[in-house]
Amino acid sequence: MGKARKPIQIVILFLIVLLGGYAIGSSVFGGDGKPKEGSRAPSFELLGLDGQTHTLKQYKGKAVVLNFWGSWCSPCVQEMPALQAQWEKWRDQGVVVVGVNVGEDQMTVENFVKMVGINFPVVMDTGRDAVRSYGISPMPTTFFINSKGKVDSIHIGQLDLSTLDAQIGKLVSR
Amino acid sequence: MMGHAPFIANTKCECGHQNPVGTVLCEACGKPIGEEFDSSENLEMRYDGVARRSQRVNPGVIDLIWNFFSSVKIAIYLIVLTLLGSMLGTVFPQESTFLNIDASTYYKEQYGAAGQIYYTLGFSHTYESWWFVSLLVMIGASLVICSLDRVLPLYKALTRQKIRKHRQFLTRQKVVLIANIEEDPEVWVTRLLQPLKKKGYRVKVDGGALLAEKHRFSRWGPYVIHIGLIIFLLAVLARGLPGLNMDQHLAFPQGEITRIPDTTYYLKNEKFKVEFYTEEEMPEEFRGKKVLPKLYQTSAVLYQCTADCIDPSKEPQLSEVAAHDIQVNSPLEYKGLKAYQFDYDLTPVLRSVQPELINSANGESYGKFMLEMKNPERSFQVGPYTLTLKEKYLDFGLNEEGQPVSKSPYPNAPAFLFLIKGPDLPSAGQQYFYFPKQVDKAQFQQASINDKLGGQDRFLELDVANMSDVDFAESTAYLNIRVDRAMPFVWLGAGIVMLGLVLGFYWQHRRIWLIVSNGELTLGGHTNKNWFGFRREIVSILERVDMAVDEKSLDNGGGLA
Repeated sequence: MGKARKPIQIVILFLIVLLGGYAIGSSVFGGDGKPKEGSRAPSFELLGLDGQTHTLKQYKGKAVVLNFWGSWCSPCVQEMPALQAQWEKWRDQGVVVVGVNVGEDQMTVENFVKMVGINFPVVMDTGRDAVRSYGISPMPTTFFINSKGKVDSIHIGQLDLSTLDAQIGKLVSR
Repeated sequence: MMGHAPFIANTKCECGHQNPVGTVLCEACGKPIGEEFDSSENLEMRYDGVARRSQRVNPGVIDLIWNFFSSVKIAIYLIVLTLLGSMLGTVFPQESTFLNIDASTYYKEQYGAAGQIYYTLGFSHTYESWWFVSLLVMIGASLVICSLDRVLPLYKALTRQKIRKHRQFLTRQKVVLIANIEEDPEVWVTRLLQPLKKKGYRVKVDGGALLAEKHRFSRWGPYVIHIGLIIFLLAVLARGLPGLNMDQHLAFPQGEITRIPDTTYYLKNEKFKVEFYTEEEMPEEFRGKKVLPKLYQTSAVLYQCTADCIDPSKEPQLSEVAAHDIQVNSPLEYKGLKAYQFDYDLTPVLRSVQPELINSANGESYGKFMLEMKNPERSFQVGPYTLTLKEKYLDFGLNEEGQPVSKSPYPNAPAFLFLIKGPDLPSAGQQYFYFPKQVDKAQFQQASINDKLGGQDRFLELDVANMSDVDFAESTAYLNIRVDRAMPFVWLGAGIVMLGLVLGFYWQHRRIWLIVSNGELTLGGHTNKNWFGFRREIVSILERVDMAVDEKSLDNGGGLA
């Protein structure tokens, strides 16, 4: 039985390290479940204004600027022209701007898109699923997601043209 | 403890048995070994004197780690540290209990500098912190290793007990009797069998030597407790796995089927009601002073999605699976999902209106149509007129440039802009602004807006004839939706702990060794608790063989309980 001891000890210690590592690891990195800079962007599956289902996966290989907005939020309205301008500037270089409308109905979104004159993809998060998985509280919030699907940076509040341009430039160069 | 062992210890007993390093009492005959032999104190009977598994002459790295966790001293330090750490988490409220509070500012505002320090040091989430979880993991490791290191040698020692022990093993027990016996040793020992068996002892005899033992299982109590604790800890750990635990607070407007996120379930609040105690029902001192709630009840129906659940472009197909009148402490339960009454809001929320199109010149009504606040139809045919919905503002207001906007996504002050086409109207149609709420009509001056849009000679009006044409959610119930699939295992672990406690506390492992030779009886007894009862039992057994013994004379010292 003396010979069997060591392997048993090693197996038990290994199991403890495995389970303990999981427990400690999830307490350190798990956090509150909200994505942070450097973590993987949560997937979403939302109905677009075009009637199609949009997912994050379909933009794989592209840098994604994910903008959460509502028609009633005035800084969201004011940053729309900047987003549209940057979408036109960068769309040929593998950058896609996606607007996520939070909790409004199709008519409101359609009228809004027509009014501000944007043509980048807009999806509707009526059940606030993406809001939950991205941990959005104030709006607007913009996630800059790189081509590998990792969150590069998070911007809370209104974006202006030049910082947006710099952010996207940084995103593409990586 | 390792320090005491000489580098090369002679662990061979005079009975010929080779004992492992760390043995205190010979595994075969019970003769004290090493330092224990030179002492005249009571014997160290822990683990029956056998060596713990990990005790070795030359411990390697793995042995050293193993020995660290095998130490009871370390285990006690770990437990004390965990208790002190837990105390830190009770100073201020924990972040995990907040629903709509921003933790980064809360502590400073509420508790000042102390709160800020508390938050900065991470004590606002003590029980999820890396150091607290590390302590728990180390306690878990200690539980497993401590038990394994002791239970196997103890099991072996107790199943391979020799009947005839070394004389010193007997005389250095805490219960000792030495007396003269005139009779033939074997005859006397045989006479003792019946009374011992009557007391529940299992007896083994070897000539003039005897070993009587009962309730050995009580020795496994502590290890059963450890198994229970390990299951408990693993269950708590498993709560972190996806799908095993959920705790969310959701709003359910009356009459709307609302999805429960991260599940395939939908819940409909059919009716929420709150009742208060009437003046007559309350004690006199409360009358006119207090409002006491009597009942909060949400009549809820739970649906499960059966098809088209994920695809947002399709309507999910639902089937009813459960219904319950949810009250405080009476949740709706279905397959581990529980919905508890949590809060309510009695503000009515407008859902739809059915306005009537009227010719204000002659009072003629062209009929009514259903106008939903959310996802309304875009076009309505009312009599000869076609109404096209151009704009919708749920919370009407004007922005800085004077343009109409919605101030929030909630239907607080809904407004609709229609383009009406039909007889006696301009061919391009006529615009009409409609505020369903009477208060908004007045505040935003619907009539004068429409006069501007349609001119003074406009003759069409939209109006709601009576309240039955207005549909609103009377109230909103807030429910706490919980899933805790690890809970049965937490209970199982707790149950096993309780079983172990009962085993260890209500029974005692009692053993009596005796040798009769050369006209002398040497008796030694050992139990793990209740020495008083044990001595009384020995006295009553000896009485049965006509041997009068004073209870106190059995006491061999050593601080007995």
